[in-house]
Amino acid sequence: MFNQNGLSLDQAPPISVVFRFFFSGALFGILAGILILIFGTSIFDAHTTQAVILTHTLTLGVMLSFMFAALFQMLPVIAGVKLTSPVQKANWLQYPFTIGVITLLLAFQTSLSWLYGLASLFLGGSIFYIVAVMLKNLFELVHHSASSKGMVIALLALAVVVILALYMTATLSGTINGTYFSQMKEGHYSFGLFGWITLLIISISFQVIEMFYVTPSYPKVVSYYLPTVLFSLLVVTFIVGLFIPATWIITDILLAILLSSYALLTLKRLTQKKRPLSDATVWFWRIGLTSLIVSMFLMIITLFTTISLLQTASYLFFTFFALSIVFAMFYKIIPFLTWFHLNSQGYFTAPMMHEVIHPKTANKHLYIHLATLVTFLLSTFLTPFIYFAGLLTILSFGWMSYQIIHAWKLYRHTQETGEKFEMKIAEG
Amino acid sequence: MSEFTKIDLDARALEHPKPLEQAIRALRELNDENYLYMLHRKNPIPFIDLASEQGFQTLSREDETGNWHILVAKNPSVTLEELLRV
Repeated sequence: MFNQNGLSLDQAPPISVVFRFFFSGALFGILAGILILIFGTSIFDAHTTQAVILTHTLTLGVMLSFMFAALFQMLPVIAGVKLTSPVQKANWLQYPFTIGVITLLLAFQTSLSWLYGLASLFLGGSIFYIVAVMLKNLFELVHHSASSKGMVIALLALAVVVILALYMTATLSGTINGTYFSQMKEGHYSFGLFGWITLLIISISFQVIEMFYVTPSYPKVVSYYLPTVLFSLLVVTFIVGLFIPATWIITDILLAILLSSYALLTLKRLTQKKRPLSDATVWFWRIGLTSLIVSMFLMIITLFTTISLLQTASYLFFTFFALSIVFAMFYKIIPFLTWFHLNSQGYFTAPMMHEVIHPKTANKHLYIHLATLVTFLLSTFLTPFIYFAGLLTILSFGWMSYQIIHAWKLYRHTQETGEKFEMKIAEG
Repeated sequence: MSEFTKIDLDARALEHPKPLEQAIRALRELNDENYLYMLHRKNPIPFIDLASEQGFQTLSREDETGNWHILVAKNPSVTLEELLRV
Protein backbone atom coordinates (compact mmCIF):
# COMPACT_ATOMS: atom_id res chain seq x y z
CA MET A 1 0.00 0.00 0.00
CA PHE A 2 1.15 3.53 -0.61
CA ASN A 3 2.27 5.38 2.48
CA GLN A 4 -0.40 7.20 4.45
CA ASN A 5 1.78 10.25 4.49
CA GLY A 6 1.88 10.48 0.75
CA LEU A 7 4.95 10.90 -1.35
CA SER A 8 7.53 11.33 1.38
CA LEU A 9 6.89 14.67 3.02
CA ASP A 10 10.50 15.58 2.45
CA GLN A 11 9.76 15.60 -1.26
CA ALA A 12 6.34 17.17 -1.53
CA PRO A 13 4.94 19.56 1.09
CA PRO A 14 1.53 18.76 2.60
CA ILE A 15 -1.18 19.91 0.26
CA SER A 16 -2.57 22.30 2.89
CA VAL A 17 0.64 24.35 2.93
CA VAL A 18 0.36 25.23 -0.74
CA PHE A 19 -3.43 25.55 -0.72
CA ARG A 20 -3.56 28.02 2.13
CA PHE A 21 -1.00 30.39 0.63
CA PHE A 22 -2.95 30.38 -2.62
CA PHE A 23 -6.15 30.94 -0.64
CA SER A 24 -4.83 33.88 1.35
CA GLY A 25 -3.43 35.35 -1.89
CA ALA A 26 -6.87 35.05 -3.49
CA LEU A 27 -8.52 36.69 -0.45
CA PHE A 28 -6.08 39.60 -0.70
CA GLY A 29 -7.04 39.75 -4.39
CA ILE A 30 -10.69 40.14 -3.41
CA LEU A 31 -9.62 42.87 -0.98
CA ALA A 32 -7.76 44.56 -3.87
CA GLY A 33 -10.98 44.51 -5.90
CA ILE A 34 -12.91 46.07 -3.01
CA LEU A 35 -10.22 48.76 -2.62
CA ILE A 36 -10.47 49.55 -6.35
CA LEU A 37 -14.22 50.10 -5.90
CA ILE A 38 -13.57 52.41 -2.95
CA PHE A 39 -10.57 54.31 -4.34
CA GLY A 40 -11.72 54.67 -7.95
CA THR A 41 -9.27 56.08 -10.49
CA SER A 42 -7.12 57.73 -7.80
CA ILE A 43 -5.16 54.46 -7.87
CA PHE A 44 -3.72 55.51 -11.23
CA ASP A 45 -1.72 58.34 -9.66
CA ALA A 46 1.34 56.63 -8.17
CA HIS A 47 1.81 59.46 -5.64
CA THR A 48 -1.52 58.95 -3.87
CA THR A 49 -1.90 56.96 -0.64
CA GLN A 50 -4.60 54.95 -2.41
CA ALA A 51 -2.14 53.84 -5.09
CA VAL A 52 0.42 52.87 -2.44
CA ILE A 53 -2.17 50.86 -0.49
CA LEU A 54 -3.42 49.03 -3.59
CA THR A 55 0.12 48.36 -4.83
CA HIS A 56 1.06 46.73 -1.53
CA THR A 57 -2.18 44.75 -1.39
CA LEU A 58 -1.28 43.33 -4.79
CA THR A 59 2.48 42.90 -4.43
CA LEU A 60 2.60 41.77 -0.80
CA GLY A 61 -0.83 40.29 -0.14
CA VAL A 62 -1.46 38.70 -3.52
CA MET A 63 1.87 38.15 -5.28
CA LEU A 64 4.01 37.27 -2.29
CA SER A 65 1.38 34.82 -0.98
CA PHE A 66 1.16 33.14 -4.39
CA MET A 67 4.92 33.07 -4.71
CA PHE A 68 5.32 31.52 -1.26
CA ALA A 69 2.83 28.85 -2.37
CA ALA A 70 4.85 28.27 -5.53
CA LEU A 71 8.15 28.17 -3.64
CA PHE A 72 6.92 25.65 -1.05
CA GLN A 73 5.72 23.50 -3.95
CA MET A 74 8.54 24.09 -6.41
CA LEU A 75 11.60 23.93 -4.15
CA PRO A 76 11.43 20.14 -3.76
CA VAL A 77 10.40 19.51 -7.37
CA ILE A 78 12.61 21.95 -9.23
CA ALA A 79 15.55 22.39 -6.91
CA GLY A 80 15.47 19.12 -4.97
CA VAL A 81 15.41 21.12 -1.73
CA LYS A 82 13.86 19.27 1.17
CA LEU A 83 12.23 21.65 3.64
CA THR A 84 11.81 19.90 6.97
CA SER A 85 8.66 20.56 9.05
CA PRO A 86 6.95 22.47 6.22
CA VAL A 87 3.70 22.95 8.18
CA GLN A 88 5.54 24.54 11.08
CA LYS A 89 7.50 26.77 8.72
CA ALA A 90 4.33 27.77 6.89
CA ASN A 91 2.73 28.70 10.24
CA TRP A 92 5.72 30.79 11.29
CA LEU A 93 5.50 32.59 7.98
CA GLN A 94 1.83 32.94 7.18
CA TYR A 95 0.27 34.29 10.38
CA PRO A 96 2.78 37.08 11.11
CA PHE A 97 2.97 37.84 7.39
CA THR A 98 -0.80 38.27 7.06
CA ILE A 99 -0.96 40.43 10.21
CA GLY A 100 2.00 42.41 8.85
CA VAL A 101 0.36 43.11 5.47
CA ILE A 102 -2.89 44.30 7.09
CA THR A 103 -0.96 46.42 9.59
CA LEU A 104 1.09 48.01 6.82
CA LEU A 105 -2.02 48.87 4.79
CA LEU A 106 -3.52 50.48 7.90
CA ALA A 107 -0.24 52.31 8.52
CA PHE A 108 -0.35 53.80 5.02
CA GLN A 109 -3.95 54.88 5.59
CA THR A 110 -3.48 56.38 9.07
CA SER A 111 0.24 57.35 9.06
CA LEU A 112 0.45 56.16 12.68
CA SER A 113 4.10 55.57 13.48
CA TRP A 114 3.47 52.61 15.82
CA LEU A 115 1.62 50.82 13.02
CA TYR A 116 4.67 51.22 10.77
CA GLY A 117 6.79 49.76 13.56
CA LEU A 118 4.43 46.84 14.06
CA ALA A 119 4.22 46.14 10.31
CA SER A 120 8.03 46.22 10.05
CA LEU A 121 8.31 43.74 12.87
CA PHE A 122 5.78 41.27 11.50
CA LEU A 123 6.69 41.56 7.82
CA GLY A 124 10.44 41.87 8.30
CA GLY A 125 10.51 38.98 10.78
CA SER A 126 8.36 36.58 8.78
CA ILE A 127 9.91 37.27 5.37
CA PHE A 128 13.50 37.22 6.64
CA TYR A 129 12.75 33.98 8.45
CA ILE A 130 11.53 32.14 5.35
CA VAL A 131 14.16 33.71 3.07
CA ALA A 132 16.87 32.51 5.47
CA VAL A 133 15.37 28.99 5.66
CA MET A 134 15.02 28.68 1.88
CA LEU A 135 18.44 30.17 1.13
CA LYS A 136 20.13 27.93 3.70
CA ASN A 137 18.64 24.87 2.01
CA LEU A 138 19.49 26.14 -1.46
CA PHE A 139 23.08 26.92 -0.47
CA GLU A 140 23.49 23.33 0.69
CA LEU A 141 22.72 22.03 -2.81
CA VAL A 142 25.72 20.45 -4.49
CA HIS A 143 24.41 20.66 -8.05
CA HIS A 144 22.50 23.75 -9.05
CA SER A 145 20.16 23.92 -12.02
CA ALA A 146 19.49 27.20 -13.80
CA SER A 147 16.17 27.34 -11.94
CA SER A 148 17.59 26.72 -8.46
CA LYS A 149 20.33 29.28 -9.06
CA GLY A 150 17.72 31.78 -10.21
CA MET A 151 15.67 31.08 -7.08
CA VAL A 152 18.68 31.91 -4.91
CA ILE A 153 19.12 35.24 -6.68
CA ALA A 154 15.39 36.03 -6.51
CA LEU A 155 15.36 35.32 -2.76
CA LEU A 156 18.41 37.55 -2.26
CA ALA A 157 16.54 40.27 -4.12
CA LEU A 158 13.55 39.76 -1.82
CA ALA A 159 15.85 40.24 1.18
CA VAL A 160 17.09 43.52 -0.34
CA VAL A 161 13.47 44.62 -0.96
CA VAL A 162 12.66 44.08 2.73
CA ILE A 163 15.80 45.85 3.97
CA LEU A 164 14.97 48.88 1.83
CA ALA A 165 11.34 48.72 2.96
CA LEU A 166 12.47 48.75 6.59
CA TYR A 167 14.49 51.91 5.92
CA MET A 168 11.38 53.50 4.42
CA THR A 169 9.00 52.48 7.22
CA ALA A 170 11.56 53.69 9.76
CA THR A 171 11.57 57.04 7.94
CA LEU A 172 7.78 57.21 7.67
CA SER A 173 7.40 56.43 11.36
CA GLY A 174 9.89 59.18 12.23
CA THR A 175 12.48 56.82 13.71
CA ILE A 176 15.19 57.99 11.30
CA ASN A 177 15.47 61.12 9.18
CA GLY A 178 15.60 59.22 5.86
CA THR A 179 18.27 61.19 3.97
CA TYR A 180 18.29 58.63 1.16
CA PHE A 181 14.52 58.02 1.11
CA SER A 182 14.00 58.61 -2.62
CA GLN A 183 16.98 56.42 -3.57
CA MET A 184 15.76 53.66 -1.26
CA LYS A 185 12.28 53.93 -2.75
CA GLU A 186 13.69 53.61 -6.28
CA GLY A 187 15.71 50.58 -5.19
CA HIS A 188 12.75 49.13 -3.27
CA TYR A 189 10.43 48.91 -6.24
CA SER A 190 13.16 48.10 -8.76
CA PHE A 191 14.38 45.14 -6.70
CA GLY A 192 10.77 44.21 -5.92
CA LEU A 193 9.40 44.25 -9.45
CA PHE A 194 12.47 43.13 -11.40
CA GLY A 195 14.74 41.41 -8.87
CA TRP A 196 12.08 39.48 -7.02
CA ILE A 197 8.83 39.04 -9.00
CA THR A 198 10.27 38.95 -12.51
CA LEU A 199 13.40 36.99 -11.60
CA LEU A 200 11.42 34.33 -9.78
CA ILE A 201 9.02 33.95 -12.71
CA ILE A 202 11.95 33.78 -15.14
CA SER A 203 13.81 31.21 -13.01
CA ILE A 204 10.80 28.95 -12.66
CA SER A 205 10.00 29.30 -16.36
CA PHE A 206 13.38 27.82 -17.32
CA GLN A 207 12.11 24.54 -15.95
CA VAL A 208 8.32 24.64 -16.28
CA ILE A 209 7.98 25.88 -19.87
CA GLU A 210 9.99 22.92 -21.10
CA MET A 211 8.41 20.47 -18.64
CA PHE A 212 4.76 21.56 -18.87
CA TYR A 213 4.57 22.25 -22.58
CA VAL A 214 7.32 20.03 -24.07
CA THR A 215 9.27 22.76 -25.78
CA PRO A 216 12.97 22.96 -26.63
CA SER A 217 14.93 24.08 -23.59
CA TYR A 218 16.20 27.64 -23.18
CA PRO A 219 19.69 28.37 -24.51
CA LYS A 220 22.16 27.83 -21.68
CA VAL A 221 23.53 31.34 -22.04
CA VAL A 222 20.05 32.66 -21.17
CA SER A 223 19.11 30.27 -18.38
CA TYR A 224 22.49 30.43 -16.64
CA TYR A 225 23.36 34.10 -17.00
CA LEU A 226 20.16 36.14 -17.31
CA PRO A 227 19.25 36.07 -13.57
CA THR A 228 22.82 36.97 -12.57
CA VAL A 229 23.01 39.78 -15.12
CA LEU A 230 19.65 41.22 -14.03
CA PHE A 231 20.55 41.12 -10.35
CA SER A 232 24.05 42.55 -10.89
CA LEU A 233 22.56 45.33 -12.95
CA LEU A 234 20.21 46.22 -10.12
CA VAL A 235 22.92 46.08 -7.44
CA VAL A 236 25.40 48.22 -9.40
CA THR A 237 22.74 50.76 -10.35
CA PHE A 238 21.45 50.94 -6.81
CA ILE A 239 24.92 51.76 -5.45
CA VAL A 240 25.83 54.20 -8.22
CA GLY A 241 22.30 55.64 -8.06
CA LEU A 242 22.87 56.77 -4.48
CA PHE A 243 25.18 59.42 -5.92
CA ILE A 244 23.99 59.69 -9.55
CA PRO A 245 20.22 58.99 -9.63
CA ALA A 246 20.09 59.39 -13.42
CA THR A 247 21.87 56.03 -13.74
CA TRP A 248 18.49 54.34 -13.36
CA ILE A 249 17.48 55.62 -16.80
CA ILE A 250 20.19 53.54 -18.49
CA THR A 251 19.37 50.54 -16.32
CA ASP A 252 15.65 50.80 -17.07
CA ILE A 253 16.41 50.72 -20.79
CA LEU A 254 18.70 47.71 -20.38
CA LEU A 255 16.14 45.94 -18.21
CA ALA A 256 13.42 46.60 -20.78
CA ILE A 257 15.59 45.15 -23.56
CA LEU A 258 16.59 42.08 -21.55
CA LEU A 259 13.10 41.32 -20.26
CA SER A 260 11.44 41.89 -23.63
CA SER A 261 14.00 39.57 -25.25
CA TYR A 262 13.26 36.93 -22.61
CA ALA A 263 9.51 37.32 -23.19
CA LEU A 264 9.91 37.03 -26.97
CA LEU A 265 12.09 33.95 -26.56
CA THR A 266 9.54 32.32 -24.27
CA LEU A 267 6.69 33.16 -26.66
CA LYS A 268 8.73 31.53 -29.42
CA ARG A 269 9.28 28.47 -27.25
CA LEU A 270 5.53 28.20 -26.76
CA THR A 271 5.07 28.10 -30.54
CA GLN A 272 7.53 25.17 -30.62
CA LYS A 273 5.59 22.95 -28.22
CA LYS A 274 4.88 19.46 -29.45
CA ARG A 275 1.17 19.44 -28.69
CA PRO A 276 -0.65 21.65 -31.20
CA LEU A 277 -3.59 22.56 -28.95
CA SER A 278 -3.28 25.25 -26.29
CA ASP A 279 -5.12 25.16 -22.99
CA ALA A 280 -5.93 28.15 -20.77
CA THR A 281 -2.57 27.95 -18.99
CA VAL A 282 -0.69 28.48 -22.26
CA TRP A 283 -2.85 31.50 -22.99
CA PHE A 284 -2.22 32.87 -19.51
CA TRP A 285 1.52 32.60 -20.27
CA ARG A 286 1.03 34.30 -23.64
CA ILE A 287 -1.00 37.15 -22.12
CA GLY A 288 1.56 37.53 -19.34
CA LEU A 289 4.57 37.63 -21.62
CA THR A 290 2.90 39.99 -24.09
CA SER A 291 1.93 42.25 -21.17
CA LEU A 292 5.56 42.26 -20.06
CA ILE A 293 6.72 43.37 -23.51
CA VAL A 294 4.09 46.14 -23.67
CA SER A 295 4.92 47.25 -20.12
CA MET A 296 8.63 47.46 -20.90
CA PHE A 297 7.99 49.32 -24.15
CA LEU A 298 5.83 51.86 -22.33
CA MET A 299 8.41 52.15 -19.56
CA ILE A 300 11.06 53.23 -22.07
CA ILE A 301 8.71 55.80 -23.60
CA THR A 302 7.88 57.26 -20.18
CA LEU A 303 11.57 57.84 -19.53
CA PHE A 304 11.46 60.53 -22.19
CA THR A 305 7.92 61.89 -21.85
CA THR A 306 5.68 63.00 -19.01
CA ILE A 307 2.43 61.45 -20.20
CA SER A 308 0.99 59.96 -17.01
CA LEU A 309 -1.43 57.80 -18.97
CA LEU A 310 1.45 55.82 -20.47
CA GLN A 311 3.00 55.33 -17.05
CA THR A 312 -0.31 54.05 -15.71
CA ALA A 313 -0.61 51.68 -18.66
CA SER A 314 2.95 50.46 -18.06
CA TYR A 315 2.11 49.62 -14.41
CA LEU A 316 -1.15 47.99 -15.47
CA PHE A 317 0.51 45.74 -18.02
CA PHE A 318 3.24 44.81 -15.54
CA THR A 319 0.57 43.80 -13.01
CA PHE A 320 -1.14 41.69 -15.65
CA PHE A 321 2.18 40.11 -16.58
CA ALA A 322 2.74 38.88 -13.03
CA LEU A 323 -0.88 37.88 -12.38
CA SER A 324 -1.27 36.02 -15.67
CA ILE A 325 1.75 33.84 -14.96
CA VAL A 326 0.52 33.18 -11.42
CA PHE A 327 -2.86 32.09 -12.80
CA ALA A 328 -1.11 29.83 -15.33
CA MET A 329 0.82 28.16 -12.51
CA PHE A 330 -2.27 27.96 -10.30
CA TYR A 331 -4.24 25.93 -12.86
CA LYS A 332 -1.34 23.51 -13.17
CA ILE A 333 -0.47 23.20 -9.47
CA ILE A 334 -3.88 22.82 -7.76
CA PRO A 335 -5.24 19.90 -9.87
CA PHE A 336 -1.83 18.24 -9.90
CA LEU A 337 -1.33 18.42 -6.14
CA THR A 338 -4.84 17.14 -5.42
CA TRP A 339 -4.41 14.20 -7.77
CA PHE A 340 -0.80 13.52 -6.80
CA HIS A 341 -1.29 13.52 -3.02
CA LEU A 342 -4.35 11.29 -3.25
CA ASN A 343 -2.53 8.91 -5.59
CA SER A 344 0.53 8.75 -3.43
CA GLN A 345 -1.77 7.92 -0.51
CA GLY A 346 -3.13 5.05 -2.59
CA TYR A 347 -6.68 6.21 -3.35
CA PHE A 348 -7.56 4.65 -6.68
CA THR A 349 -10.88 6.53 -6.61
CA ALA A 350 -8.94 9.81 -6.65
CA PRO A 351 -10.38 12.33 -9.10
CA MET A 352 -8.42 12.84 -12.28
CA MET A 353 -6.79 16.20 -12.73
CA HIS A 354 -9.45 17.48 -15.14
CA GLU A 355 -12.08 16.55 -12.56
CA VAL A 356 -10.44 18.71 -9.90
CA ILE A 357 -10.49 21.81 -12.12
CA HIS A 358 -12.00 21.27 -15.55
CA PRO A 359 -10.15 22.94 -18.45
CA LYS A 360 -13.38 24.80 -19.28
CA THR A 361 -13.31 26.32 -15.78
CA ALA A 362 -9.80 27.63 -16.40
CA ASN A 363 -11.00 28.98 -19.77
CA LYS A 364 -13.75 30.94 -18.07
CA HIS A 365 -11.18 32.51 -15.75
CA LEU A 366 -9.11 33.39 -18.80
CA TYR A 367 -12.04 35.38 -20.23
CA ILE A 368 -12.67 37.07 -16.87
CA HIS A 369 -8.97 37.97 -16.71
CA LEU A 370 -8.98 39.42 -20.23
CA ALA A 371 -12.15 41.37 -19.51
CA THR A 372 -10.49 42.76 -16.36
CA LEU A 373 -7.51 43.97 -18.39
CA VAL A 374 -9.74 45.62 -20.99
CA THR A 375 -11.91 47.38 -18.40
CA PHE A 376 -8.83 48.66 -16.57
CA LEU A 377 -7.48 50.10 -19.81
CA LEU A 378 -10.86 51.62 -20.66
CA SER A 379 -11.07 53.17 -17.20
CA THR A 380 -7.96 55.23 -17.89
CA PHE A 381 -10.09 57.09 -20.49
CA LEU A 382 -13.60 56.61 -19.13
CA THR A 383 -13.60 56.81 -15.33
CA PRO A 384 -16.79 54.78 -14.61
CA PHE A 385 -15.18 51.66 -16.09
CA ILE A 386 -13.04 51.46 -12.96
CA TYR A 387 -16.06 50.05 -11.13
CA PHE A 388 -16.38 47.26 -13.68
CA ALA A 389 -12.64 46.66 -13.29
CA GLY A 390 -13.06 46.45 -9.51
CA LEU A 391 -15.99 44.05 -9.79
CA LEU A 392 -14.14 41.88 -12.30
CA THR A 393 -11.10 41.80 -10.00
CA ILE A 394 -13.34 40.52 -7.21
CA LEU A 395 -14.88 37.98 -9.60
CA SER A 396 -11.43 36.84 -10.81
CA PHE A 397 -10.04 36.18 -7.34
CA GLY A 398 -13.41 34.94 -6.09
CA TRP A 399 -13.32 32.41 -8.92
CA MET A 400 -9.89 31.32 -7.77
CA SER A 401 -10.98 31.04 -4.13
CA TYR A 402 -13.88 28.84 -5.17
CA GLN A 403 -11.54 26.53 -7.13
CA ILE A 404 -9.32 26.12 -4.07
CA ILE A 405 -12.29 25.35 -1.80
CA HIS A 406 -13.68 22.93 -4.41
CA ALA A 407 -10.34 21.10 -4.79
CA TRP A 408 -9.88 20.93 -1.01
CA LYS A 409 -13.40 19.51 -0.54
CA LEU A 410 -12.74 16.90 -3.24
CA TYR A 411 -9.47 15.99 -1.55
CA ARG A 412 -11.08 15.59 1.87
CA HIS A 413 -14.07 13.74 0.42
CA THR A 414 -11.80 11.22 -1.31
CA GLN A 415 -9.82 10.72 1.88
CA GLU A 416 -13.01 10.09 3.85
CA THR A 417 -14.82 7.86 1.38
CA GLY A 418 -12.18 6.66 -1.09
CA GLU A 419 -10.93 3.11 -1.44
CA LYS A 420 -7.25 2.40 -1.29
CA PHE A 421 -5.15 0.56 -3.78
CA GLU A 422 -3.16 -2.37 -2.43
CA MET A 423 0.32 -2.52 -3.91
CA LYS A 424 0.93 -5.94 -2.38
CA ILE A 425 4.62 -5.32 -2.11
CA ALA A 426 6.45 -7.50 0.36
CA GLU A 427 7.20 -5.58 3.55
CA GLY A 428 10.79 -4.78 4.32
CA MET B 1 16.41 -12.41 -24.47
CA SER B 2 15.00 -11.48 -21.08
CA GLU B 3 12.55 -13.79 -19.37
CA PHE B 4 10.72 -10.75 -18.06
CA THR B 5 8.07 -8.86 -19.99
CA LYS B 6 8.81 -5.23 -20.68
CA ILE B 7 6.16 -2.56 -20.16
CA ASP B 8 7.21 0.27 -22.45
CA LEU B 9 6.45 3.88 -21.63
CA ASP B 10 7.83 6.58 -23.86
CA ALA B 11 7.00 9.80 -22.03
CA ARG B 12 9.31 12.07 -23.96
CA ALA B 13 6.58 13.87 -25.89
CA LEU B 14 4.08 14.01 -23.03
CA GLU B 15 3.31 17.25 -21.20
CA HIS B 16 3.75 17.32 -17.45
CA PRO B 17 2.18 15.70 -15.44
CA LYS B 18 1.13 13.02 -17.96
CA PRO B 19 4.43 11.11 -17.62
CA LEU B 20 3.91 10.81 -13.86
CA GLU B 21 0.26 9.88 -14.31
CA GLN B 22 1.08 7.10 -16.76
CA ALA B 23 4.11 5.90 -14.81
CA ILE B 24 2.06 5.50 -11.62
CA ARG B 25 -0.58 3.60 -13.60
CA ALA B 26 2.14 1.32 -14.97
CA LEU B 27 3.53 0.81 -11.46
CA ARG B 28 0.26 -0.79 -10.47
CA GLU B 29 0.55 -3.29 -13.32
CA LEU B 30 3.93 -4.55 -12.18
CA ASN B 31 4.21 -8.13 -10.96
CA ASP B 32 7.01 -10.69 -10.64
CA GLU B 33 7.09 -11.35 -14.39
CA ASN B 34 7.42 -7.88 -15.81
CA TYR B 35 9.24 -4.57 -15.45
CA LEU B 36 8.70 -0.97 -16.53
CA TYR B 37 11.01 0.67 -19.06
CA MET B 38 10.33 4.38 -19.27
CA LEU B 39 11.94 6.96 -21.52
CA HIS B 40 11.78 10.56 -20.32
CA ARG B 41 13.28 13.98 -21.06
CA LYS B 42 14.08 14.41 -17.37
CA ASN B 43 15.01 12.27 -14.41
CA PRO B 44 11.57 11.90 -12.76
CA ILE B 45 12.77 12.08 -9.16
CA PRO B 46 9.28 12.15 -7.53
CA PHE B 47 8.32 8.98 -9.39
CA ILE B 48 11.56 7.19 -8.57
CA ASP B 49 11.23 8.17 -4.92
CA LEU B 50 7.67 6.96 -4.84
CA ALA B 51 8.57 3.63 -6.46
CA SER B 52 11.57 3.15 -4.14
CA GLU B 53 9.46 3.89 -1.09
CA GLN B 54 7.03 1.19 -2.14
CA GLY B 55 9.79 -1.38 -2.30
CA PHE B 56 10.33 -1.49 -6.06
CA GLN B 57 13.86 -1.54 -7.36
CA THR B 58 14.64 1.35 -9.66
CA LEU B 59 17.36 2.47 -12.02
CA SER B 60 17.66 5.73 -13.92
CA ARG B 61 20.39 6.58 -16.36
CA GLU B 62 20.92 9.43 -18.81
CA ASP B 63 22.18 8.62 -22.29
CA GLU B 64 24.43 10.80 -24.43
CA THR B 65 21.42 12.38 -26.20
CA GLY B 66 20.06 13.66 -22.89
CA ASN B 67 17.20 11.16 -22.65
CA TRP B 68 16.60 9.35 -19.38
CA HIS B 69 16.06 5.61 -19.18
CA ILE B 70 14.08 4.64 -16.09
CA LEU B 71 13.64 1.00 -15.16
CA VAL B 72 11.39 -0.25 -12.37
CA ALA B 73 10.79 -3.82 -11.26
CA LYS B 74 8.85 -5.43 -8.47
CA ASN B 75 10.73 -8.73 -8.56
CA PRO B 76 13.99 -8.36 -6.59
CA SER B 77 15.68 -11.00 -8.75
CA VAL B 78 15.46 -8.80 -11.85
CA THR B 79 18.83 -7.23 -12.67
CA LEU B 80 17.92 -3.85 -14.06
CA GLU B 81 21.47 -3.09 -15.24
CA GLU B 82 21.24 -6.04 -17.63
CA LEU B 83 17.94 -4.82 -19.06
CA LEU B 84 19.22 -1.32 -19.68
CA ARG B 85 19.58 -0.44 -23.38
CA VAL B 86 21.87 2.56 -23.45
